[in-house]
Amino acid sequence: MEINLAFITNWLATTLRLSAPLILVGIGGVYSERVGIFNIGMEGMMLAGALAAVAGSYFTGSLIVATLWAMAAGGILGVLHAYLTVSRRANQIVSGAAINFLALGATNMLYARLFRTVRSRVALYPIPVPESWQSIPFLGPILFSQSLIVWIALLLPFLGAWALYRTSWGLNIRAVGEYPHAVATAGLSVLRLKYTGVIISGIFAGLGGAALVLSELGYFAPGITAGRGFIVLAALVVGRWNPILVAAACLLFGAADGLQLWFQTFKSAIPYQFPLMVPYLLTILALAGLVGRVSGPKTVGKSYNPENI
Amino acid sequence: MKTLKDTNSIEYTMEMVGITKTFPGVLANDDVTLRVKPGEVHGLLGENGAGKSTLMNILYGLHQQDDGDIFINGRKTRITSPRVAVDHGIGMVHQHFMLIDNLTVLENIVLGIPPEHPPFLDLNSARTRFKKITEEYQIPINPSTPVWQLPVGDKQWLEILKQLFRQAKLLILDEPTAVFAPSQVEQFFIKLRQLTEEGCAIIFISHKLDEVLEITDRITVLRDGKLIGTVTTNQTNSTELAQMMVGREVSHDRKPRPPSVEKKEVLVADNLCCMDDRNVPALRNLNLTVHTGEIVGLAGVDGNGQKELAECIAGLRQPTGGKVSIQGKPITHVTRDTSLLGYIPQDRHTIGLIEPFTVEENLVLKTFDTDPLTRRGIIRWRSIQNNADKLIDEFNVKTPSSRIPVRNLSGGNQQKVVIARELSGKPALLVASHATRGLDLGAVESVHNILLHERNQGTAVLFVSAELSEVMALSDRIAVIFNGEIVGILDAEGADINLIGELMLGHRETVLNTMQN
Amino acid sequence: MNKPKLSSIRIPLLGELILSGGRPVIAIFLALFVSAIIIYFLGVNPIAAYTSLLKGAVGSIPGMANTCVRASPLLLGGIAVAIGFKGGLLNVGVDGQLYAGAAASTVVGLISMPVPPWLHLIITILAGFLGGALWALIPAYLRAYRGVSEVVVTLMLNYVAIYFVSWLVHEPALLFEEGASFPQSPLILPSAQLPILIGRTSLHSGIILGVVMAFLMYLLIRFTPFGFRTRMVGENPEASRYAGINVKAQTMMVLMVSGGFGGLAGAIEILGLKHRLFDMFSGGVGYEAIAVALLANANLIGVIIAAFFFGVLKAGASKMQIVVGIEASMSLIIQALAVIFVIALGLGGSRMKKRRRRSQKNITITETIEDGD
Repeated sequence: MEINLAFITNWLATTLRLSAPLILVGIGGVYSERVGIFNIGMEGMMLAGALAAVAGSYFTGSLIVATLWAMAAGGILGVLHAYLTVSRRANQIVSGAAINFLALGATNMLYARLFRTVRSRVALYPIPVPESWQSIPFLGPILFSQSLIVWIALLLPFLGAWALYRTSWGLNIRAVGEYPHAVATAGLSVLRLKYTGVIISGIFAGLGGAALVLSELGYFAPGITAGRGFIVLAALVVGRWNPILVAAACLLFGAADGLQLWFQTFKSAIPYQFPLMVPYLLTILALAGLVGRVSGPKTVGKSYNPENI
Repeated sequence: MKTLKDTNSIEYTMEMVGITKTFPGVLANDDVTLRVKPGEVHGLLGENGAGKSTLMNILYGLHQQDDGDIFINGRKTRITSPRVAVDHGIGMVHQHFMLIDNLTVLENIVLGIPPEHPPFLDLNSARTRFKKITEEYQIPINPSTPVWQLPVGDKQWLEILKQLFRQAKLLILDEPTAVFAPSQVEQFFIKLRQLTEEGCAIIFISHKLDEVLEITDRITVLRDGKLIGTVTTNQTNSTELAQMMVGREVSHDRKPRPPSVEKKEVLVADNLCCMDDRNVPALRNLNLTVHTGEIVGLAGVDGNGQKELAECIAGLRQPTGGKVSIQGKPITHVTRDTSLLGYIPQDRHTIGLIEPFTVEENLVLKTFDTDPLTRRGIIRWRSIQNNADKLIDEFNVKTPSSRIPVRNLSGGNQQKVVIARELSGKPALLVASHATRGLDLGAVESVHNILLHERNQGTAVLFVSAELSEVMALSDRIAVIFNGEIVGILDAEGADINLIGELMLGHRETVLNTMQN
Repeated sequence: MNKPKLSSIRIPLLGELILSGGRPVIAIFLALFVSAIIIYFLGVNPIAAYTSLLKGAVGSIPGMANTCVRASPLLLGGIAVAIGFKGGLLNVGVDGQLYAGAAASTVVGLISMPVPPWLHLIITILAGFLGGALWALIPAYLRAYRGVSEVVVTLMLNYVAIYFVSWLVHEPALLFEEGASFPQSPLILPSAQLPILIGRTSLHSGIILGVVMAFLMYLLIRFTPFGFRTRMVGENPEASRYAGINVKAQTMMVLMVSGGFGGLAGAIEILGLKHRLFDMFSGGVGYEAIAVALLANANLIGVIIAAFFFGVLKAGASKMQIVVGIEASMSLIIQALAVIFVIALGLGGSRMKKRRRRSQKNITITETIEDGD
């Protein structure tokens, strides 16, 4: 296997394609953890979004509808997670795990009933630039061959960061995961902020699911998310809960994923499993304090009791 | 001499009239009336649990009163939430900082204020206004600093600035000088005066009597949820205030002491120094000795190092200088040796007991792995039950069974469980930290009797309490702690309560003068 | 007034179980009820569906065997999570510990030892436990001594373990079986294989191991100082510190023991069922184990029942699919609903208990007590 321009171009293109769903889920994940709610259910929300996207595209042919269905599917599961963790003050891991089972079971059943016999692929996100641009050297194959959703994934982190750091609402979001009682004393509704953060993570996870299936695949398969919702949790740590850095981490992880595909195909000397381990090992190192001080929003994982000072 | 503002045909800027508030089982505020004049500093005094916090929480909209009305500038107002309170110009600075460490000063300032041009967070205009306020009051705080970097004194100022930023006209300050060194307190008071000259009224909650006497114009005293009275500051003194706060006659009914046994030193604290949780020095070269068969009462206003001293003795806090030893054994870390030390901690709920555990389990937290409760590696529940039955009987703990969760017991009985456990090993030294806090009179008496009994058996007892009358009734000797030092040790027999009061406030010279006369 | 002393009545094992099991049982009933509604709307008679499910799971010998085989790793995983709960820890890494234990026991199972077969088996099982415990070493240390939440670290290590095992069984790595068409290890030696309980079924003695371990762990928690300390630290680490317990050491030990049981879960899958290690041989046990421990309210005996419940669901699901046409994934939905109802009913996870004490002088609001994270 030679490392030449073709290899690099291919690798970068694959990276963008693989990273896009992660980035979308990641933006949502930032908001959930910033309000102090750990969301391991993003895997299930992404899965539900993926099925909903394929269903939407199949039944209506409209990608807008497909996208909306995906966001709704994720959002509904987000509401469930928010209800359980914020209103019922349940353990956040357990709630997320339950949502994952629910999504897996439900999507498997729906898939079997709706799509198992479907052979065709559904409509995909279009490529938003003129076809001639794809022949431009380097940028052509890397950027201009990507579907619309990838472009959106590359731009949304900036919007997410702006909202988080430049609006007063974003300030509230950042505050409530750190010290909810201070936020309550300032006259804001902690419950409303937490619900919002979690539901956003659901919606974006659903959107990530849509990106997964409708950018190149065109079909759904049971369990197609294959752990992507969990790797995003790693990106949140490595990206220090900053939407742009998290997106960068997702790109890094996507690059590792792209690399292992090459390793597998071309039987390189390095076992392909090793680049796959990188995101997870990196996260552990970050948490252990070996790659700089990393600590998330202070109250992630803890339940908020308004009557408890 | 203050001039009242000419717009004030209104006599009071804020009135709380006949406020009553009940929580399940407790009457927190019982027909309390508080009136604050514009531009005055109004002190609010009372012991822990007197109802000060509840009253202020009602004023700030965190609770709603069951009965009674609130008037702002003469108009009846219902304050249903902090936001409403803020809209009416009420600002509250809590005892615990409500600051978000990872955000900047400016971000903390603007948190909760609806933006001028939503959704944009306009920090620039906020910055300008902030700079103006800091210049006006000469409090140099950089708005871009992350709050966790600020020293404690600045954080306190930041809390006040937060309220000024919101144009508070009535400021509630809850123990604002707790984090200041004495020199900073002077500065603080000068700026408070500046605030009042601008028309701000201040409710000053504190139990530092001399500070209250210095800065306030009028003082309201609460006790047990009731209003005791409102006095004008320059017409009262600390003794009268203390009497109003505590309201109990000093009991001269002292239990007789058995003929003195040979006195050996048990607890020796030698030039002990240590830091508190905020990395501020808590103990400064503290010297204290407790002998067999005596109760030494540690008198002092809460927050002068009592907690840290108890923790050093128990091995839970590392001294930064000097040493502490029990029966000659230096204390360097936590010990499970119940024959050496029994420690009744300040917070029985969080650290004295494990609430979901049963009574019998709580009684053996330090001894469960010793013979006869464990033999050959197996816990013998029958032995634990026998142990519990014995202790329940001995200490008269009222519980239907030793196998119910200890959280089901009343406060007094919970405390008895702690005491029983700590005394079960017949320790040489017993440290009792606020052992009667939160207990009803009957339970208080039980605890006193237990302590006296121990003393009579030869145990050395260090009794820490903020209730002077209790200390005086129970102790053989009284040590007064102020600012991390022992400023005086007296025999309890014939001690003058005023003298002790002065020592508690740190007025050593006054005491010396009095004693010389 | 002479009331009989209640403290002399010992609540037997069963009584304790009933007290703690009552509430999750309600949740299970609700889950079955809601699922019945879903089944109805899919055009199938729920009674018929549940009957076929039960028939498939316990109506025949092969069915029962299948149920037990499915339940075994969940039982051991449930023990792992339950022990963690008791110590105030949330072990989300059972998947990783499972893979680590499986790898360790495969390695030892491939080594020919000059010892009687039963001893070889025991050593192999121990290797599995050790593998899982060691896999929990890093998260245990980070949590106990650095205050890093064990949740994310164990979660991340799951994937590291899975990929590590994947590497091990691919050529040319250590365990790759020469000439095999997929990546797998050679068959482990017969002496290292768990005996089959019922001929011609796959029912291996892993289930016995699981049940025995559950009882042993119950006894450990209840009757040893280690168990008492674990409970102390799990309920109130600060009070435990004041009572002189070394909270850090205890925390670390508990998480490693928990990891060990995760390792055992993997060990029995290899030693009893698969007899060789291969890529992605297991999936999702870790999260289901959390559900098992939750339904059992972290009670070590209740875990047996909860694991069997899940085993029944999984084993019977395929029969239900064949007979009434409800997809096997329905069992996942039932599992999910059971967990959701347990936590929605405000039980398990974060239990808040607040008591206000009557007092003449003070309002003493006792601390709220939070479990879970």
